[in-house]
Amino acid sequence: MEEGGAVIGPENGAGADAEGDAVMRCRGFSLWYGKVQALKGVHFGVRKNKVTALIGPSGCGKSTLIRALNRMNDVIDCVRTEGEIEFLGRNVYGPGVDVTELRTKVGMIFQRPNPFPMSIYENVVYGLRVHGVNDRRVLDEAVERSLKQAALWDEVDCRLHEPALSLSGGQQQRLCVARALAGGPEVLLMDEPTSALDPIATAKIEDLVYHLKRDYTVVIVTHNMQQAARVSDFTGFLYLGELVEFGETEQVFKRPKEALTERYITGSFG
Amino acid sequence: MEGARRGKRNRLLEFLVERALFASALFSAVAVAFIILFLFRESLPIFLGPGLLDFVLGAAWNPVGSPPLFGALPLVAGTALVTLGAMVFAIPLGVATAVFVSELSPKGWKPLLKLCVEILAGVPSVVYGLFGLVVLTDWIRVSFAVPTGESWLAGSVLLGVMSLPTIISVSEDAISSVLREHKEASLSLGATKWQTIWRVVLPSARSGITAAVVLGMGRAIGETMAVMMVTGNAAVIPSPITNVFSPVRTITGTLGIEMGEVAFGSMHYSALFGLAVLLFVIVLVVNSAALFLLRHRQAGAFGAGRGMVSRAKSFLSGNMVLLAGLAVVALAGMSSRALAASLLVAFALLYLLLTRLRRQWTEKIAFGAMGASFLLVACALAVIIYYVFSNGLPAITPEFLSGFPGNSGRAGGILPAIIGTVYLVAGAIAIALPLGVGAAVYLAEYSRGGRIVSVVRAGIDNLNGVPSIVFGLFGFAFLVIFLKLGVSLLAGQLTLALMVLPTIIRTSEEAIKSVPNSFREGSLALGATKWQTVWRVVLPPSVPGILTGVILGMGRAAGETAPIMFTAAVFSQRALPSSELEPVMALPYHIYLLATSVPGAAGNAYGAALVLLVLVLGMYGFTALIRAGFSGRRNW
Ligand SMILES: Nc1ncnc2c1ncn2[C@@H]1O[C@H](COP(=O)(O)OP(=O)(O)OP(=O)(O)O)[C@@H](O)[C@H]1O
Ligand SMILES: [Mg+2]
Repeated sequence: MEEGGAVIGPENGAGADAEGDAVMRCRGFSLWYGKVQALKGVHFGVRKNKVTALIGPSGCGKSTLIRALNRMNDVIDCVRTEGEIEFLGRNVYGPGVDVTELRTKVGMIFQRPNPFPMSIYENVVYGLRVHGVNDRRVLDEAVERSLKQAALWDEVDCRLHEPALSLSGGQQQRLCVARALAGGPEVLLMDEPTSALDPIATAKIEDLVYHLKRDYTVVIVTHNMQQAARVSDFTGFLYLGELVEFGETEQVFKRPKEALTERYITGSFG
Repeated sequence: MEGARRGKRNRLLEFLVERALFASALFSAVAVAFIILFLFRESLPIFLGPGLLDFVLGAAWNPVGSPPLFGALPLVAGTALVTLGAMVFAIPLGVATAVFVSELSPKGWKPLLKLCVEILAGVPSVVYGLFGLVVLTDWIRVSFAVPTGESWLAGSVLLGVMSLPTIISVSEDAISSVLREHKEASLSLGATKWQTIWRVVLPSARSGITAAVVLGMGRAIGETMAVMMVTGNAAVIPSPITNVFSPVRTITGTLGIEMGEVAFGSMHYSALFGLAVLLFVIVLVVNSAALFLLRHRQAGAFGAGRGMVSRAKSFLSGNMVLLAGLAVVALAGMSSRALAASLLVAFALLYLLLTRLRRQWTEKIAFGAMGASFLLVACALAVIIYYVFSNGLPAITPEFLSGFPGNSGRAGGILPAIIGTVYLVAGAIAIALPLGVGAAVYLAEYSRGGRIVSVVRAGIDNLNGVPSIVFGLFGFAFLVIFLKLGVSLLAGQLTLALMVLPTIIRTSEEAIKSVPNSFREGSLALGATKWQTVWRVVLPPSVPGILTGVILGMGRAAGETAPIMFTAAVFSQRALPSSELEPVMALPYHIYLLATSVPGAAGNAYGAALVLLVLVLGMYGFTALIRAGFSGRRNW
């Protein structure tokens, strides 16, 4: 695939207005693990209060890309980047950026539920505590609000001080969502949030994603094409580190512009 | 017909092999039971005579007075104080260094840093003692303007340094095994790296770190030679209790000093064995606590326990830093108001600094402190090695290495000591290797759990925790006296073999267990018997691991003084030993005597220490090479 082949931005479908409400934007973003290039000039925008799905075969760089959005790749040694990722008009890889601030605003949900081995309550308020909030009232409020937003409140309201690890896998994942919401993020990144869950728990998370976009912007990586079609407004198709196609979900699934995308969606490979 | 006969022979062989392996596994458990029994037997008169309470709580220890007094309290207090003092600085220093090595060290440096810690662990205790006696006590005397530096403080500093490797390596293990997912979750919520370490990594690793501390304590309590050489050995309780410049005498020190001159069968003799029982019980309790914590560390999630015990535990460890700080202030308060007040102010400032500061600054300060801790540990190592080399090198001449000692070791060479140490180590390994590998094979391949196996495991764990001086006493009472071997090479070899057995069993078992199961299944599926499979398929790839264990054991055996002091070693010899029943000279014992009993022999003491250090560290270096070489070649 040539350089020019990468489809630029959401303006494909929605015109110039869309540019205005993109919260995050990748501009020719490349990433190397040592000598291996995992992302090649990725270019797209994440629109406010929409769900953006990233799909593609295993190893194509979906996790790498989504982790690049809140600089979680910093933890890995020998990662090098080129190009820009903008959040609210500022390059997150630029000088003087406070990564912890960025990560507070751009939260992340991981593939496997990873609650801390603390109580449910302490899990939810972790993000607030690290920012120095210790006022009991504020914390209590945040716990209730975020657990409600994560559709978990009714199941745990009378056992907030029990260990988080006593929850089921699906509940744990929703707890992780609540934990990410408590700090008041603007964007939520989800890397295959349902791949470790059973169908019922999966349905609950999908439902949650649908409701979350009223207040938040969501980027979700998924292996499951139906899931992408069900929950997302925009879809990007990654292949071997390149963003082959990006557009409104309906267009990408029904009338893909690239032959590769079509082949992937119809299941001819991957 | 032929096949049937072969089948029968195979079955018989299998049966015999399994029995033999089982017997070698059982040996450790039997040995521990035997040590306990023998210590008890010898100490019976003191427990029956003056009585247990009078012995343990008696306020004066004066075995040569009239009437002789056998009150262990000052000795127990000495051990407790010296250990406490050691822990006060070894715990923060060790844990901080572990955090640095595991989480903060520049990438690619970790193996090197771990090697430093291993070297620190490999320095023989008599070398620490020599350094302490010549350098540390002098430094204390001069810089604090006290009449003598041989004191509680010197013992604590030295023991602290000696327990650092245990604390660092076990903590580092616990810290590195904290799930990466938990760290990432914390970072993704906007926590700084330091917040992640403080709030997620350290709490997760808590029980591992506690175990590290307890193991380090066990190490400190059981150490003999180094303490004996620097604490002044006066059997008094410091007055006031916080006077760190007061001399003290530990349980181990008492055993080391008095065992050599006591009349066999006297009340004094029995009292010394009573002390050994006491020491054994203390160390047993401490080590069992550590093992319990290590075994249950997966189950123990932080801040999420139920029930009183776990709540109390989580409170204690959650506020461990606070409590330790208060304890230090309280102790200081007893000796000086001003000191306590200034400490309190310092702690308050530190607390404010850590909680009120912008978190980026807190992080910088914390990381600085961790890095400084590591540097301090590295400096301690460098200083010790430097002193031994700079003072020892001038003594090293061809005559020194190949001659016999003269003028009480002030002149001449150390050849008999080198040869004696080599004999001792070789004999110990020749005995411990088959037993140890047999036990390891049994535990890894044959045991099917059950009560006997847990008894065997408990036996091995406990044997591992037995202080080396207790081995010495047991060897003396059982091998030298009871079996009438006399002070001889053989008695020393047997004692050392017992001491290194657990190391060999553990490393061998680990090596055997790391052979993938598919190998065994492949062999069994081809019709090989169990023993054939073990012999041909499992053992060959385990050889490097077993070898590592053997060499570690050799390093330990070469450096130990306490076990051979009463069983095998003599000060001077005109000829090399020609039979197993003759006594020998040994390097560590020679160093000990030159340093403590022969004025004007410091140069030769350093020379011998240099030879011993090079010998032991050479062995450790060799294991590092083996590990590096084979981990590269292994491809499963
Ligand atoms: N820590 C790392 N070090 C080196 N290479 C890595 C690392 N993580 C990922 N890679 C490589 O980068 C490429 C993209 O990996 P990534 O995890 O982003 O794929 P993915 O699309 O998320 O795959 P999957 O669907 O299996 O999760 C792969 O070729 C992978 O081998
Ligand atoms: Mg992935």
